[in-house]
Amino acid sequence: MTWRGLLSLPRDGRSVVKTLGFLALAGLLGAGAVVGFGLYNVSAKSGHWAGVSWVLHTTFRNAVRLRADATPPEDLDSPAMVALGARHFDSACRTCHASPGRPRSATVRAMVPAPPHVSAIAGQWQPQELHWIVHQGAKMTGMPAWPATRADDVWPVVAFLRAAPDMSAQTYRDLTESPEGQSCAMCHGAGGASGNPQIPRLDILSEAYIAASLRAYRSGARDSGIMAEAMSHVPEAAIPEIAARMAAQVPVGPAQPMNALARRGEALALRGGGGDVPSCAACHGPWDAALNPLFPSLAGQHAPYLRQQLRLWREAARGGGPVAQLMHHAARDLTEEDIAALAAYYASLAPAKLDRTGK
Amino acid sequence: MQDEDAQGSTTAPRRLCWGGGALLLTACSGPQSVLDPAGRDAEVLAVLFWWMLGGAVLLWLAMNGLFFYVTRMKERAFSPQAADRLIVFGGVVFPTVVLAVLLSFALSEMPRQRDLGEGLTLRVTGESWWWRVEYRTEDTETPVISANEIRLPAGSRSELELAANGYIHSLWIPALGGKTDLIPGRETRMSLEPVTPGEYGGQCAEFCGESHAKMALRAVVLPPEEFAAWLEQQAAPATPPETETARRGQAVFLREGCGACHAIRGLGARGTIGPDLTHLGGRRTLAAGVLPMSRAALEDWLRAPEAIKPGVRMPAYGHLAAADLAALATFLEGLK
Repeated sequence: MTWRGLLSLPRDGRSVVKTLGFLALAGLLGAGAVVGFGLYNVSAKSGHWAGVSWVLHTTFRNAVRLRADATPPEDLDSPAMVALGARHFDSACRTCHASPGRPRSATVRAMVPAPPHVSAIAGQWQPQELHWIVHQGAKMTGMPAWPATRADDVWPVVAFLRAAPDMSAQTYRDLTESPEGQSCAMCHGAGGASGNPQIPRLDILSEAYIAASLRAYRSGARDSGIMAEAMSHVPEAAIPEIAARMAAQVPVGPAQPMNALARRGEALALRGGGGDVPSCAACHGPWDAALNPLFPSLAGQHAPYLRQQLRLWREAARGGGPVAQLMHHAARDLTEEDIAALAAYYASLAPAKLDRTGK
Repeated sequence: MQDEDAQGSTTAPRRLCWGGGALLLTACSGPQSVLDPAGRDAEVLAVLFWWMLGGAVLLWLAMNGLFFYVTRMKERAFSPQAADRLIVFGGVVFPTVVLAVLLSFALSEMPRQRDLGEGLTLRVTGESWWWRVEYRTEDTETPVISANEIRLPAGSRSELELAANGYIHSLWIPALGGKTDLIPGRETRMSLEPVTPGEYGGQCAEFCGESHAKMALRAVVLPPEEFAAWLEQQAAPATPPETETARRGQAVFLREGCGACHAIRGLGARGTIGPDLTHLGGRRTLAAGVLPMSRAALEDWLRAPEAIKPGVRMPAYGHLAAADLAALATFLEGLK
């Protein structure tokens, strides 16, 4: 039949509508029967029909490619990032993806789709794609989304996934062992200072600040996927004891020599700058008088952590305890150079509590 | 009842009329009026305004009179010569003369309004949304810093250097003179010669953002010797608090990091982002003319500044214990 023939078919509008209506009704009844009478077999044993797995996985792969656009940090593959990522992985992801040098459990392998082994992941994806998958998760696969809005603290996990294919079981064990009964110490070190610059040192902080932060992580008021996971294993009642134990640590360590960047940071921290950046020292020390213990001490804090936090403050995305809004006001005019200078200055100071009253 | 109602309804329009008239009249006097000058520059502007108003009224009457005469009274057309004369004289010569007189008067007054000051220089910076005011005399090394209040000695010309931080503003104290814009990245200047001591209102006169309408200031004109004494008192550091409550307030001030933004000379706070609070309690108003200077107003401001002035840089301190907040307000109010 030519296209002219198609046009010359009898065009009775009513019969076309009737036919379409009948088909729609039949489709609805069919779909209703599948849902209502349980006709579709959801069994993981029966697997998918031929071709369905391919369609689903190709959809997944293309959906990730379309959306993954984060820029990896320069220090993505640094040992510190890998170490932090390994510790979070051990708590949150190991159950399904196993660990380097160890097989997945038989149960996990029976999942549909089966979660890939940790050492088989990085070869399939670009870093920004890994970042997207870890942050967003994937519907109906069992892969959960990152338990925080913030996306920058996903990168350590990406770093670990990239290192996992070449990691030995022994290295993984060394990275993830923790002293008996002290889950904080696995990342933060037994004395509150781990030496990993990606992980904040806690020995300089006050009891009130640690307790407020832990509560904020638990409630979600402070946004961090890593700490949300960690705090889901800590009951509310344990917070005062943890805060007291961490705050009892006495910070030790030498001051670092100040470079030009740190000197710039010093001027900014002590006197404020540029007309709109208040002085940091008035709340965070070094200070002679007693300061509000809800303000964290920054003396000796690690520079990468400080930079990351200052960026979050500037974007009003940090959250935290009851006085967090003060810092959202204070940080909004910081430039990237200001942030680098302030982090360099505070990191160069000898680790110390909030003010010179020693509390 | 019925009578009253009936009477009320008939007199309502008349009342409205009188009310409107009274409203117009109130605009002619008071502390923030161009027509109630208290300074040399405002006097010139007022004189200019009254002359122009008088002239405009006369011209309006003359034009309408002429129109009435031509359309209703005159029976024949003008002769071509008379029409030419009317056009040349009424349309060219007369306006040229009137405008030339007005222009030369206005131009002759301009240099005086840009005269250099006679010793006192103020630097006024438009912030978001308040005024930073620094006083410099010939014998002071460092400027005396204050905010939201401009004090001037009567009878001499003071110079104002104008700057802006972030947004454009305009400084206008109608009773003392004309307005001048404050422009980021540029320095503008004006000078004022107040005559009558008293308190006058000022306002930001250029839309500058969320709280433009809440960016007022107070101008206080003092006799010269009183001004000198006031400036000397302003230059001095703050008096340490004397009562127990005020001392507690000072501790709260230092503990909460208020010194990151505010300076209180002599008490250890050196911030430069917000207004200098060394003599806060001595000012007439709080938050750039928005609130009266009182302990209760200070407490309200500290608790929720955003509710009083949208977009303000000052964060809220509502999380402080009520007693701490009250002590802080007492301490600040005591900084005379």
